[in-house]
Amino acid sequence: MNDFLLVRKNLFRKKLRAILMIVSILIAFAIFGVLAAFERAFNAGEDVSEADRLVVVNKINFTQPLPIAYFNRIAAVEGVRQVTFANWFGGYYQDPKNFVIVMAVEPETYLKVTGTDFAFTPEMTQAFVRNRTGTLVGRALAEKWGWKVGDRIPISSSIFSQKNGTHTWDVTIVGIFDKNKPQADTNLMFIQYPYFDETRSFGKDTIGWLVLKTASSAVNDQVIKTIDQMFANSSWETATDTEKAFNKAFVAQLGNIALIVTLVVGAAFVTILMIVGNTMVMAIRERTREIAVLKTLGFSGARVLRLVLGETLLLAVIGGTLGLGLATLATLLMRQSLSMFVPGLRMSPEIVLTAVGFMILLGLATGLVPALNAFRLKIVEAMGRG
Amino acid sequence: MLKQIVAVTAINLKSIPRRFWLSLSTVVAVALVVMVLLSFLAMSAGFRRTLASSGAADVAIVLRAGARAELNSVIARDQVRLLEDAPGVARDAQGKPLASAELYLVVDGIKKTTGTKANLPLRGIGESGAAIRKGIRLTEGRMFAPGSNEVVVGKSLLREFQGFELGRTVKFGTALWTVVGVFEADGSVFESEIWADLPVVQSLFNRPNTFQILRARLSGPDGLAAMKAFNDGDPRLKLDVKSEQDYFSEQSSQTSDLIQKLGWPLAIAMAFGAMAGALNTMYSSVASRSVEIATLRAIGFGGFPAFVGTLVESLLLAGIGGVIGAVATWLIFDGFSASTLGASFTQVVFSFRLTPALIGQGVALALIVGLIGGLLPAIRAARMPIVQGLQG
Amino acid sequence: MSDTSLVRLAGVSKGFVKGKDAITIFERLDLAIPQGDFVAVMGPSGSGKSTLLNLLGGIDRPDSGEIHIAGSRIDTLSEGQLSQWRAATIGFVFQFYNLMPMLTAAQNVELPLLLTRLGKAERRTHVETALKIVNLADRAKHYPREMSGGQQQRVAIARAIVSDPELLLCDEPTGDLDRASADEILGMLTILNRDLGKTIVMVTHDPAAARYASRTLHLDKGHFEEKELAA
Ligand SMILES: Nc1ncnc2c1ncn2[C@@H]1O[C@H](COP(=O)(O)OP(=O)(O)OP(=O)(O)O)[C@@H](O)[C@H]1O
Ligand SMILES: [Mg+2]
Repeated sequence: MNDFLLVRKNLFRKKLRAILMIVSILIAFAIFGVLAAFERAFNAGEDVSEADRLVVVNKINFTQPLPIAYFNRIAAVEGVRQVTFANWFGGYYQDPKNFVIVMAVEPETYLKVTGTDFAFTPEMTQAFVRNRTGTLVGRALAEKWGWKVGDRIPISSSIFSQKNGTHTWDVTIVGIFDKNKPQADTNLMFIQYPYFDETRSFGKDTIGWLVLKTASSAVNDQVIKTIDQMFANSSWETATDTEKAFNKAFVAQLGNIALIVTLVVGAAFVTILMIVGNTMVMAIRERTREIAVLKTLGFSGARVLRLVLGETLLLAVIGGTLGLGLATLATLLMRQSLSMFVPGLRMSPEIVLTAVGFMILLGLATGLVPALNAFRLKIVEAMGRG
Repeated sequence: MLKQIVAVTAINLKSIPRRFWLSLSTVVAVALVVMVLLSFLAMSAGFRRTLASSGAADVAIVLRAGARAELNSVIARDQVRLLEDAPGVARDAQGKPLASAELYLVVDGIKKTTGTKANLPLRGIGESGAAIRKGIRLTEGRMFAPGSNEVVVGKSLLREFQGFELGRTVKFGTALWTVVGVFEADGSVFESEIWADLPVVQSLFNRPNTFQILRARLSGPDGLAAMKAFNDGDPRLKLDVKSEQDYFSEQSSQTSDLIQKLGWPLAIAMAFGAMAGALNTMYSSVASRSVEIATLRAIGFGGFPAFVGTLVESLLLAGIGGVIGAVATWLIFDGFSASTLGASFTQVVFSFRLTPALIGQGVALALIVGLIGGLLPAIRAARMPIVQGLQG
Repeated sequence: MSDTSLVRLAGVSKGFVKGKDAITIFERLDLAIPQGDFVAVMGPSGSGKSTLLNLLGGIDRPDSGEIHIAGSRIDTLSEGQLSQWRAATIGFVFQFYNLMPMLTAAQNVELPLLLTRLGKAERRTHVETALKIVNLADRAKHYPREMSGGQQQRVAIARAIVSDPELLLCDEPTGDLDRASADEILGMLTILNRDLGKTIVMVTHDPAAARYASRTLHLDKGHFEEKELAA
């Protein structure tokens, strides 16, 4: 026997009560786990972004176009290591409801600049560059529609049309790529910008945005200033920012997700704090006489305090671990059905770590009052009461 | 029997102060569950209402086939001309068609609450653009003058985003625009928009002769059908024609369903937590009253009053929690203004709306928590062996 | 007051404040109990018998005076020091056994050993020995609720002696038991006193129980009257 056994036996002496407390803790942690996973998924763009990557968009708004000439002009800016560009295609497959993320990209440079996010093999890179109507498809997207390398697929645009009036472009899959980072999402595809630009009926020689890599993140500010000043007062002014800041600003547009998550998780935790805290105070009060006996046997106040805190910690850890398990299961189940809306939903190590921190805090917070009561308990009075 | 029930219930309720903190924790737990549920439902209802009030049944909206959102759509000048003269389009007193070809662009604004960039819709509207829509009313200033760089802004936009006060100058790209008026539009999405003269927008944004959508007032109940038939019959058109009402309700259902789909599971999960708390409280209540219950039973009271008494206590605690939760939600969130990205990739400003029906749902959830949380302990109270109870 | 005394009280005063009234239990009380003695303490209810045991056990403090037990002056020790001292020196036996309901007999007996540096194996042998002494070796795995009052009290005695304390303090150890069980417990205490040399102070209301002791102290109005029992 040791103190842990004592703690365990104390906790489960009223099984129903212990189980009810564990259930309420479990639920709070499950809610925390799932919501935190959602929040991380929403901010995946921020996590995937790299410190030396900048995004250049039209100053009016990122949906406004920029002239293609900026590609070469920005490439010449000092501190820019590599630059590429892309255009939003507004894609769908067969039915406008089947929304597909398609980007028309500068074939040679785009794969290099984003090569840290996605695992492009040399073969698929070559094939994509050589084949004007070729497309590279992300693993998740290919699996969703059952596409294979070599398939010729019609991709439609809800925005653009070809000069012949059709909204659909036929492209051939020359490669299916995986991701390099766990947060990255492969639910997208790339087509060649030159092919797209020559065939579309309007908007020729304009691009959506540019992505560039700087020599090092230390020169970011300098590069940002140079680029934006270069185009100031032109009819196409630019707004340059780090990829991280850009993605963060975009997610912020959905609403204050972090605040909503904080409020809901806060509500859930206040609930268990009250329920578990009060129940533990009551449980320890019921045990007044036993604690007095322990003290009579020579258990010091500090030791009794540790026993009570151990009990609430154990409770929090059991409930919290089960709750995290449930949250992991739930995110796995929702992953597929929500892949369009929140790609990359998963339980990350950071979430688990935060949860463990919360478990410890919860254990200490709910145990504090009863543990102090036990610590202060006077043997003579307690025995008299029993 | 009734007398017994009343007596036992009274004893029960009087003993609540003895378990004050535990009882309070149940009340708070239930209140928080109801608050979470109601704030999500109020958000969903508010968003839905904003979009629902945007769409008129007697206004048609024409988009490029497959565009689904105004932002994506592109239609040609010739198509605009053809459609303006289409059957089903209403005409004003001078015989001019009540139709407005529009350009829908996204510009950056700054959200007041967070200081972050936000996509705002800048709409270039035709001459009859304001007249087609119902309920447009200028609350400040005047309408923009045709051919000038003037804009009018919706009052929700003014409230949520920086720098659109009457008389202020705003800069989109290199062009400067003056805010000359503020309008309201029955709480619809149009209140989150900036409006300017179409030709000016076309030229200042390098979009000469480009249009994105056409809106037209319909001549009558069968106007839409006539317009659709005309569109389908002409190979130069082949556009999507739908009523504005349908267009917006499609958009609202996505987002508001999503909010609801988040709100209910969260609230139900939390309700289970609160239920565990309620069960705990009620089992303690029964345990702490075991001597009283046993004594009453020994005197001759039945088990049923003990059952009812416990259940009433549980329902009362949960009910109080539900009411507190509803009142708190109403005080904090009713009318709370928020904005999110809508289907056209721009911010839609909406207000949380807590309707009586929603409050009903919240209180119902609270009572369910109370009912289930009280049932098992109530059965235990009714079945408690008298001798064991008397021993305390 | 010879140096062979295990317990020595010098000028101990103790009172309680109850509401407005202050009651005095002891005033300048002196007492000496030699090593190896078995003392029964008797007296009317409220005379301060339990208070005396509490003072001896270091779970209550005198208002003034000195208490020396086994060479330590305990009235000046801190709470923490008292805990350690109790764990090493005192074994308690209560009227209502006070076993932990969620622990088995063996685990209950093992409790005080958690306060020592003994390893697992050593603890087990100590527990087995203690249970053997109280004739409960076969009940090691039983929970308190599965045992009779007499058996529970024997577990409590095993718990009191497992860490080999010098002084056993028993507050009405047979108060809740029938004659036969009581005699069994008292016999056991006698053995502990005689064969293992434990010094025992036992409070009792039962003259038959007091007869097991080597002498009886009568406590009344804060003073002792001693009666040697002819063997
Ligand atoms: N914590 C306390 N506060 C106030 N008065 C107390 C306290 N503890 C004991 N007393 C009082 O001190 C007196 C002696 O109590 P004590 O418990 O020592 O009596 P006792 O001799 O053991 O009696 P009994 O035979 O009934 O067990 C009693 O009058 C009691 O009311
Ligand atoms: Mg006593």
